[in-house]
Amino acid sequence: MTGYIVRRLLQLLPVLLLASLGIWAMIYAVPGGPVASIVGENANPEQIREVTQRLGLDRPVLVQYWAWLTSALTGDLGASLHAREPVLHLIMQRVPATLQLGFCATLVGLLLGIPVAIASAIWPGSWIDRTLSGWSALALGVPTFWLGILLILLFSVELRWLPSASAYVSFFDSPLQALRNTAMPALTLGTYVSGIFARFLRASLLSELKADYVRTARSKGLPERDVVGRHVMRNALLPFVTIVGLMLANFIGGTVVTEAVFTYPGLGRLLIQAIGSRDYPLIQGCILFILVIYVLMNLLVDVLYAYIDPRIEYR
Amino acid sequence: MAEPILSVRGLDVAFTGSGRSVPAVRGIDFDVHANEVLGIVGESGSGKSVTSLAITGLLPATARVSGSIRLGGVEITTADRETLRRMRGNDVGMIFQDPTTTLNPVLPIGRQVIEGQVAHGRIGSAAAAGRAIDLLREVEIPDPAARAGQFPHQFSGGMRQRAVIAMAMSGQPRLIIADEPTTALDVTVQAQVLSVLARRQAESGAAVILITHDLGVIAEVAHRVAVMYGGRIVETGRVEEIFARPRHPYTIGLLRSLPRIDGAEERLVPISGQPPAPARMPSGCAFHPRCPIGRDRPICAAEAPALVAVGAEGHASACHFAAEAETADTSARRPEPRPLTPEGAAKPAAEPPLLRVDDLRVHFPIRAGLLRRQVGTVRAVDGVSLDLRAGETLGLVGESGCGKTTTARAIMGLLRATGGSVAFDGQDITNLPRADMRRVRRNMQYIFQDPYASLNPVRTVGDIVAEPLHIHGLFDQMGGEKRIAELFELVGLSRTMLDRFPSEFSGGQRQRIGIARALALQPRLLILDEPVAALDVSIQAQVINLLQDLQRELRLAYLFVAHDLSVVRHISDRVAVMYLGRIVEESAKTDLYERPTHPYTQSLLSAVPVPDPASRSRRKRIVLQGDIPSPARPPSGCAFHPRCFRATEICARERPAFVAQPGGTTRSACHHAGPLDASILAGAAR
Repeated sequence: MTGYIVRRLLQLLPVLLLASLGIWAMIYAVPGGPVASIVGENANPEQIREVTQRLGLDRPVLVQYWAWLTSALTGDLGASLHAREPVLHLIMQRVPATLQLGFCATLVGLLLGIPVAIASAIWPGSWIDRTLSGWSALALGVPTFWLGILLILLFSVELRWLPSASAYVSFFDSPLQALRNTAMPALTLGTYVSGIFARFLRASLLSELKADYVRTARSKGLPERDVVGRHVMRNALLPFVTIVGLMLANFIGGTVVTEAVFTYPGLGRLLIQAIGSRDYPLIQGCILFILVIYVLMNLLVDVLYAYIDPRIEYR
Repeated sequence: MAEPILSVRGLDVAFTGSGRSVPAVRGIDFDVHANEVLGIVGESGSGKSVTSLAITGLLPATARVSGSIRLGGVEITTADRETLRRMRGNDVGMIFQDPTTTLNPVLPIGRQVIEGQVAHGRIGSAAAAGRAIDLLREVEIPDPAARAGQFPHQFSGGMRQRAVIAMAMSGQPRLIIADEPTTALDVTVQAQVLSVLARRQAESGAAVILITHDLGVIAEVAHRVAVMYGGRIVETGRVEEIFARPRHPYTIGLLRSLPRIDGAEERLVPISGQPPAPARMPSGCAFHPRCPIGRDRPICAAEAPALVAVGAEGHASACHFAAEAETADTSARRPEPRPLTPEGAAKPAAEPPLLRVDDLRVHFPIRAGLLRRQVGTVRAVDGVSLDLRAGETLGLVGESGCGKTTTARAIMGLLRATGGSVAFDGQDITNLPRADMRRVRRNMQYIFQDPYASLNPVRTVGDIVAEPLHIHGLFDQMGGEKRIAELFELVGLSRTMLDRFPSEFSGGQRQRIGIARALALQPRLLILDEPVAALDVSIQAQVINLLQDLQRELRLAYLFVAHDLSVVRHISDRVAVMYLGRIVEESAKTDLYERPTHPYTQSLLSAVPVPDPASRSRRKRIVLQGDIPSPARPPSGCAFHPRCFRATEICARERPAFVAQPGGTTRSACHHAGPLDASILAGAAR
């Protein structure tokens, strides 16, 4: 297993190399550049040349990429063109906030989605199934910015329980303050994702409930809660774990709209700002970071697979 | 006689899911006593499995049940859920068809064997693990303590089914229901499982209901038989009676449509038509549209016959003309008897073979690791040689994993040969380039096992049959639409069906469409891969007869790949037996079946259940131990030696040559080849 994980991590290197090349190419393919946004509209050619030279943008593209790549290999992702701070530092500032929101939102999604899925899979076609299916359609259909605004209206404007602008407070520093700040964005994202979770798990449970081993379990005289809890659930979790992992990675990679609604200091907003100002090193850094998160999450899912299903062996 | 353990009276089951009521079981009565095995036999849709689910209360919510089912004095049809749950696992144990899907893949076997008893509170969780190990030992699982902690994928098919038997017996139930318990297993493994089931039944004195479509298994194991057709029991009686003096035209038809491994070589007499679908049940006697003795007498279509006593005690038949069934010429619809051995049998030996396979090898690399390095080789086919002449049928038999399908595909060029050669009509066609191979394939066509998956569901059957002509650009040249209509009639379908889709046809009709497609290009060789394995017995006979007629008319050569030794005996001129990628014995049919010389052939033949209950006490059976080894790690020397009852020290060391045996047409690969003598049998048979 350890060998497998190490090999998977090594496979990450060529992926990151290709991705960085791709991102670099993409950035240069679109018009505009960082200089204009730095020097302002009334700059004279002299200023523009000066800034271009200072940022090293007058060198050939491949030379720029090479310089970036060699320093990236030593752990130096360069400095932001705007904030003039190391990219790594900027990203790391946002990571704890992003992680906290991502995990909270996923947790909310699981807490809402799993019971809904189980109830509607056990009684398919019943009023409870129809009600819950309607609810999961609603959860998916309502745009997150709209739900976010509604939550703000209710909890911040009307009830005045929660701050309308969410700052990042770590759970380890002040659990109560962290909860007050994270609750609304987590609920917004969690509601949305619970619709996805419920649909996936319901479909997966329904197909497992038709399996022969379920009939065997019933023929042994197991009570229905054991049939579902011990036999069906574990098999149904296999495909479900994949989607949970993907959604979690998605959240950690940044949730632009929700972060904007609650002015939450997450990675999504950092990336949007970087793109807006053509801050090349920062864009590269953010996207590479998101890529690493996805790959690690996939690896985690694969490891979980082996834990859930004894048929899967990694060597 | 003592009180029966199970008593079923007037049982009706209908499914209401589709908006209207579809009957599955229509008023059946039977009893099962302790120490008795009742065999329920029937084709698909006869209602046999629905009956078993009704007894255990496991029918889906859309089923409506009426009548009475009393198990040990308790009425089941009206029992509440909790009573039913307590009954399952305690009073009734169930064994299902396919042990690969009936066990939960993610839970350890030991836990699955005992958890029912834990749920019933009959054993504490502390003692459960030990009891599970004992139960596995009772069904002859080797090293049960270690095996109890393993998962289903680590068990072979036979071991899994034995674990399921252990599970069903864990509560010492008074009734065991086994629904097609060996259908998914190879014949040597089936023999193991049936012997374990019979022994455990005798030890526990339980009553057993054995549900199967296989008349051979019924004849080997059952004491009494109930034959089901169209949701009713049409005939019941002691097993010897039913097989010796059947009194219902359906039972008679079933027995006559069965290819026999024990000799009888007459042309099969299929039952015409198809078994009825529950949604379109014929009026009156459900069998009347297919019945050879009813002769359209009005009562058959008007009134459902009741089971009435005939002949010996306990023998009953549900036929208005049961007395006629015994004497009437049920072969009235029998086609002209023709010589069974095609003219091809008289072919001059000098004629060169149409297909010559020489030392064919197909190896698959096993790759692993980051760089996909090759870490091993699966020797799926490892040196197969065979000849086939025009008008001749060569049967290629073996158990799953022996390489018979791989051989067939490699001959067709669907798989790349690793070594050896394939020659068709004198031309070497081994690993030909794609375009050249396509020209050769005009003369050799493949027929697949699964008539459902092998026809494209969105094209009309006319298009499907015409497709090979279009691919080869011969559609107009070979007669266009007229040719397609001819092909349909050749395989016994009507030309009016050309515009329909595959879903409108039954399994047997679909297989006819597959045959028509294969014949479209007027091939000289057909490779048939288990062509009748997915069909009901009565339909299987129709397709076998069709294949034999076509061979005679068109002088086709058949390579007939199958696991069913009875079917192979019926259709083949010569037979080759494969084990782990090699042919171990090859001979003319009669020699192979009557004087086998290789111990594997001998075990295989002795394991086949024969639909003749009278002979079961006389038959000696060789029950092979263990399972077929993996072709990735074949045993040294003779691959069969670890399971062989004749193996000596040379067998592990030296691979035996494939040589002619004295006094016949047989060639076999065994250091100790020779007829089976009584002393060997005494040691090997059990």
